[in-house]
Amino acid sequence: MPEMIKESKSKKILSIIGKAAVYLIMGIFAFMTLYPIFWLIMNSFKTTREFQVSQLALPKSPTLQNYVGAWQIGDFSLLFPNSILYTLGATVGIIFLSLLAGFAFAKLKSKATKPIYNSFIMGILLTTQTLMIPLFLEVNLLGIYNTRFAVLIVYIGAGLPIGIYLSTEYIRAIPSAVVESARIDGAGFFRIFLSIIVPMSVPVATTLAILNITNTWNEFALINILVSKTELKSLPLGIYKFSGSLSSDYGKQFAALTIGMVPMLAFYIIFRKQITKGVAAGAIKG
Amino acid sequence: MSSTLSAPFWGVFMTYSSKSYIEEKRAYWAMILPAFTIYLLVMAFPIVLSIVLSVSNYSGGKMFGGEKWGFAGFDAYLRVFRDPWFWNALKNNIYIVLVSVFGQLPLGFIFAYFIYARIVKAPEFWQGVLYVPNIISVIVVGLLWQTIFSPHGPIAEVINSIRVREFQNQVRGIFNAAGGFSLSDDVIQKILDLVGPSGQAIFSDPLIDLRDLLSSFHGEPIEEVYNALGNLFVQKWSPTFLTKSNIAMLPILFVILWMYTGMYLILFLANMQKIDVQIVESARIDGANEGQVMRYIILPALSGTIVNAAILAISGSLSSFALVFAMTGGGPSRVTEILSIYMYNNAFLGRPNFPLANAISLIMVLISFGLILLTKAVEKRYGGKEE
Repeated sequence: MPEMIKESKSKKILSIIGKAAVYLIMGIFAFMTLYPIFWLIMNSFKTTREFQVSQLALPKSPTLQNYVGAWQIGDFSLLFPNSILYTLGATVGIIFLSLLAGFAFAKLKSKATKPIYNSFIMGILLTTQTLMIPLFLEVNLLGIYNTRFAVLIVYIGAGLPIGIYLSTEYIRAIPSAVVESARIDGAGFFRIFLSIIVPMSVPVATTLAILNITNTWNEFALINILVSKTELKSLPLGIYKFSGSLSSDYGKQFAALTIGMVPMLAFYIIFRKQITKGVAAGAIKG
Repeated sequence: MSSTLSAPFWGVFMTYSSKSYIEEKRAYWAMILPAFTIYLLVMAFPIVLSIVLSVSNYSGGKMFGGEKWGFAGFDAYLRVFRDPWFWNALKNNIYIVLVSVFGQLPLGFIFAYFIYARIVKAPEFWQGVLYVPNIISVIVVGLLWQTIFSPHGPIAEVINSIRVREFQNQVRGIFNAAGGFSLSDDVIQKILDLVGPSGQAIFSDPLIDLRDLLSSFHGEPIEEVYNALGNLFVQKWSPTFLTKSNIAMLPILFVILWMYTGMYLILFLANMQKIDVQIVESARIDGANEGQVMRYIILPALSGTIVNAAILAISGSLSSFALVFAMTGGGPSRVTEILSIYMYNNAFLGRPNFPLANAISLIMVLISFGLILLTKAVEKRYGGKEE
């Protein structure tokens, strides 16, 4: 009896130590996540001179001067609307085209479905970034270099494989009887799509929206080769301006980085639950 | 098809059916073609284009009606394989793949399990916080960490302030031993010994100059004396994480681990939570310990997810671009180049070499597919669970 008590006691101590270790490791990770972000935002309110003297202390007299400067140098008043346009345009385009094609793949009979659907699935494995050189040459060949149109088309194309995969799987799970009875009532396929399929697909559309909003807003590699005019650039391109020769002006660089980070942070704080769910659902390959 | 078969007997029925059939075909293609056309333009056409250009001598400019260009054989591929910088870039990509598969995945899995098994409290907090790096633009992440690892970052500041404090404590010890602030020869000499020859070199006559300096403070307030001595004599440490070529990859790998571990946490946790709670509970009632629950219930249930995650990690690692582009740009002197940057530089830096860049692009696509097929084969062989 006493031995058993002893054993359970030592077990308990062990589990407490184990728990402490777990908290420590995860705590370190969480600290490493939050502190750099806090450090960045805090220092964005210091002048570069104050930053060079003390990087760890809170700003003595917080200034917004960096933001004013960064906003001008980065042309953010031009880039912000562009980012919103690209993000919304690509997201809406991907969702609409994915649901449309997904409906056809899932509920309309055709021998073409198998090869075409599979080719989309292959695209999930392929990252568009590896194709940036031929893409650059292609948009030049088509004469659409430096156009918003090219950016939107490329973003939509890059998002379609996963979009079509998720939509098709989702719409397949909708009972075919729903479609068939609407057909018997004389409804056309587009009518069925708009008034039955779209309303029923809100969950998958939400997942796609979440995935594509974050991806598109933060995208850099592709838009970097698609446009060179400032009026067409997106936020990440403007932030990149603050590397290189401008990077020693820390105050402005930090302000620019914060401007680039805060919209997505806010989006994350508001939609955290949906984002987490969307990421788990979207992390698939064929 | 069916309309040609229409016999009088089936007449009425067939016309209806074939009309419906045609309508369905039309609707089908009208729904598929917009997506498929864009997809072909963005994915298929570039692949074809890069196949063509990689075996050509195209040198930029107008593709049609400009300078003549044509077939040039597999020269570009040979040059890529003979280029030591290609192998350097490939090596760096392999490092990234390894950190992703053997760093992010296991860490994400373990963290997910800690949360799933309620070993830590506040699951929402951990999940929420550890995912944060994923939603920030890689450009922001790259530039932020570049500064953190730089001589102006917090790492340097912490280490330097520790050094300064240590030095000041030693000076304090010297004053305390002399019974307070003092300008005696003994004290001055001890400080000079502490400073060493490199510190003394700033004076022409160390003993006299240091005494002059110290006497100008009149010993009050003593903290100011310490600060002045610290600033003067403690050599600032300047981190070279990103500028020393033999270690410059390490900070990049660290940031990659930092950034994406949370994504795999989310992925694994979501799938762990799909496991029937009753199975786990009844196993525990039957006396299974944590290790056994993990070995016989959780790991088998997640084998598909793990393979998925590995594929995701591999394809993501091979195509990563922006993070390294922002953090080091491939420098110092090209040692942190990864394949995508190697490709980018060949196309856009200096004289463009499009055949070469397109060959690299295709090689990357092929490596991606090869590795994914390999992972799939491994899964078929050892994974057990069919998807």
